[in-house]
Amino acid sequence: MTPWVGRAVPRKEDARLTTGRGAYLDDLSRPGLLHAAMLRSPHAHARVVAIDTSAAERLPGVLAVLTGTEAAAVSQPIRPLIPTAVPLRDWCLAADRVRFAGEPVAAVAAVDRATAEDALENIRVVYEPLPAVLDPEEAIRSSAPLLYPELGTNVLWHDVLTYGDVDAAFARADGVLRERFEIQRYASTPLETFGAIAEHDPGLDQFTFWTNDQRPGLTLAILADSLGVPQSRLRLICPDIGGAFGNKRRPAYLLVCALLARKARRPVKYVEDRRENLTALMHACNGVMDVELAYTKDGTVLGLSVRDIADEGKNLVSPAQHNLIKLGNIANGYRIGAIRYEPYAVLTNKCPSGANRGIGKPFMCFAVERAMALLARRLGIDPAELRLRNYVGPEQMPYTTPTGSQYDSGDYPATLRRVLERFDYAGRRAEQARARTEGRLLGIGIATSVEPAGTNLASYELVTGRRAASGSAEAAMVRVEPDGEVRASLGDPASGQGYETVVAQIVADELGTTPERVHVERGFDSGATPWLYLSGNYSNKFSVTDVGAVIGAARKVRDKLLRIAAHRLEAAVDDLELVDGEARIRGVPGRGLALRELARTAYADVLGLPPGEEPGLEARHIHQNPLAEPIGAGRRVRSQLVFSNAAHCCLVEVDRGSGHVRILAHVVVHDCGRELNPLIVEGMVHGSTVHGMGAALLEEFRYDDGGQLMTATFMDYLKPTALDVPDIEVDRLESPSPFTPLGSKGVGEGGAIPGPAAVANAVEDALAPFGVTVRALPITPERVWRWLSRV
Amino acid sequence: MAILRLTVNDRAIECEVSPRRSLADFLREDLRLTGTHVGCEHGVCGACTVLVDGQTARSCLLLAVQLEDARVTTIEGLTPPDGLSPVQRAFHECHALQCGFCTPGMIVVAHELLAGNPAPTREEIRAAIGANLCMCTGYVNIVRAIEAAAAQTRA
Repeated sequence: MTPWVGRAVPRKEDARLTTGRGAYLDDLSRPGLLHAAMLRSPHAHARVVAIDTSAAERLPGVLAVLTGTEAAAVSQPIRPLIPTAVPLRDWCLAADRVRFAGEPVAAVAAVDRATAEDALENIRVVYEPLPAVLDPEEAIRSSAPLLYPELGTNVLWHDVLTYGDVDAAFARADGVLRERFEIQRYASTPLETFGAIAEHDPGLDQFTFWTNDQRPGLTLAILADSLGVPQSRLRLICPDIGGAFGNKRRPAYLLVCALLARKARRPVKYVEDRRENLTALMHACNGVMDVELAYTKDGTVLGLSVRDIADEGKNLVSPAQHNLIKLGNIANGYRIGAIRYEPYAVLTNKCPSGANRGIGKPFMCFAVERAMALLARRLGIDPAELRLRNYVGPEQMPYTTPTGSQYDSGDYPATLRRVLERFDYAGRRAEQARARTEGRLLGIGIATSVEPAGTNLASYELVTGRRAASGSAEAAMVRVEPDGEVRASLGDPASGQGYETVVAQIVADELGTTPERVHVERGFDSGATPWLYLSGNYSNKFSVTDVGAVIGAARKVRDKLLRIAAHRLEAAVDDLELVDGEARIRGVPGRGLALRELARTAYADVLGLPPGEEPGLEARHIHQNPLAEPIGAGRRVRSQLVFSNAAHCCLVEVDRGSGHVRILAHVVVHDCGRELNPLIVEGMVHGSTVHGMGAALLEEFRYDDGGQLMTATFMDYLKPTALDVPDIEVDRLESPSPFTPLGSKGVGEGGAIPGPAAVANAVEDALAPFGVTVRALPITPERVWRWLSRV
Repeated sequence: MAILRLTVNDRAIECEVSPRRSLADFLREDLRLTGTHVGCEHGVCGACTVLVDGQTARSCLLLAVQLEDARVTTIEGLTPPDGLSPVQRAFHECHALQCGFCTPGMIVVAHELLAGNPAPTREEIRAAIGANLCMCTGYVNIVRAIEAAAAQTRA
């Protein structure tokens, strides 16, 4: 029978999500539910001198008010994922000092959100404004205002990591390309904002949370530490999640709800409004990279040196994460023998930075692919040809980069050649030349990328000097119910990736049934789903780690079904197969035992089980990906596990009058190994590529000199619409990974990584007659107009 | 509180409502019609789109009290008692949704478009959904789905 895995099966989730029957966080209610609102700092940096909540507390309909001072008294600081050198104490509400405009200082729980917001207006806070630091390079200087004086610096990580003989590579180079690139703050801004409901059971001193938090394993650890309640008395449930992309996490908000719920003795819901989401949830780091590329005359890249400053804003939870992820991707798809990386992770008075589709890789790829485009121009070599001269070859796989990343499979030259063919590269170059004679500015951009999947938290040891969490693992459960129907659950809550469908495909193959007969639980429930600290929706890990957990659990159940069937049919297990919903002697259809009948034995007629067999048909499995290893010699680290790759070709036209950039065509050829569901994979490629286009042309969290976010609505923070993007054309290669259970690799970050570089290279190509170098994003009409007008 | 009389999904409703209650909150909280989603509360994202007297409207920008005597149709009202509407089926078959949060608004817009223009061009489809944000799909499959639904409805 053709396996279900690999087929373009339309999604099971769609039946509810197309009809308005999904259950997202804000759709949930609880008896006696209260609604919370938060009072947020108007200052980028200030001391909180005094706070008076008495008028708010007197307002009818207000049930509880919480201040930072009180939070500090009744809860513990939030445990960071990457601890700082000096422990910094950061509670769920700012206590004595605010460090970015929009940081919450107090919260109110009331009968409805409007009443809660009315109450905020009755809270009086006296602030003593402090000088703010907004520019990360300024924040590094010893004269800069400090966010945490006890730390003595704003720099949370600075290091120089060297792999191979960098000085020798630069010494024997024919030339060195030096360039400075910048990236802006942007975010994937899931359409559903972040939120939570907390409910406290005072009899058991037990909390239940409903939240669209995408990393429940880690969040449960933080909640337990901060609330002083053991994890055995915490339950966390994720419903349908309306997009996440790394952004959907803020344990502090869950804690605020929990403390308010305990105080008010009623469940409390908090859902961000969009302004709060854009102002205070999570931005990708902005930053600056100084890149040096040592090359020979024929275009061979010998060495790469990068000084990288990541602006963390007020990120105490995961600082240096962007840097670490960049290190794993620094060589992109190229054979570069010598690499130097000098990372800075810097605190500033801005919104906390954090995970955002690709974490750091979009900027790393932007810098390397921009540098390759500039090198091609400098040497007079076609940009496609320059890349072909430098790729890791398919015969070199698996290939270990100098920094310790392992590229497991793929054919990078073939991927690029395929995209050139699909894009009609030669034809479009001719079209571009013709257009130029007519005065039209067409440009072609190429960018290629590697896309890792599965994280290895051991890499944090590079920053902290000690290992806390490490590796990559996920948990799953598979159960044949007493009626023979199948149920599965996973420790990774989906946020649009269609796990209910793909997990059903995998389980159906293992148990010889159909995806329709496999019910996969929505979301996550720590009281029912197997999970571990590492559980969650992050680092592109589904295809690498989660799949292993599902297969492991399904195979345990399959083996048990076969043992029970062998006993009942008086046959050898090896002579049996599980197909068409029954266990039967190989090749003898219709005479086997249906799942329902085997389930009856397992759950009801247990005397019919083989001797010693435990009743029931349920299995749990935790898959640990074997590629994750501790840090190796020379500080080499496999921070991520397997690598997909892609090549993008983008055609743009720049309007001379307005400076507007229009993307006329965009072709993607990608290789994510074996595609478990090509329909879902292609959707991921479209969506991630458009994230890249948004970062390239539109999106920017822009602050004024005082630290106020100027782009705090979707009128100012511009997302791509259907009118801004073309029909993206997708083709694929399939190079299965030898290191994952089904040969699949990551695809969730996809076009978000090379997308910005592809568009930027195309714009620069269009503006070649003007000698423009694209050093920063987004490429707004204003920026283009200034280039064209030389203003 | 004000008394409000209107029709929602062909059902006559008379109830008390606070003058500052938005239509979106009224539908979601008071009528428990949670298929209408709230994505930005400032009229840009389109997730909260419903039909008011047959025309699309942003329910986050309307106050419920403005809807006296109006006929409001939400995603629940566009869903047949059994199965899916042609637009919904096309969204499913073309994989035009991922997280699903924008989907009800997109489907409402598609219904309005196809009611007035049974054979829209790609450009017309893109223009129709041009004020609805989707953060997941890159719009490619949404455009395909509306094309497919149009073709199927005409067949």
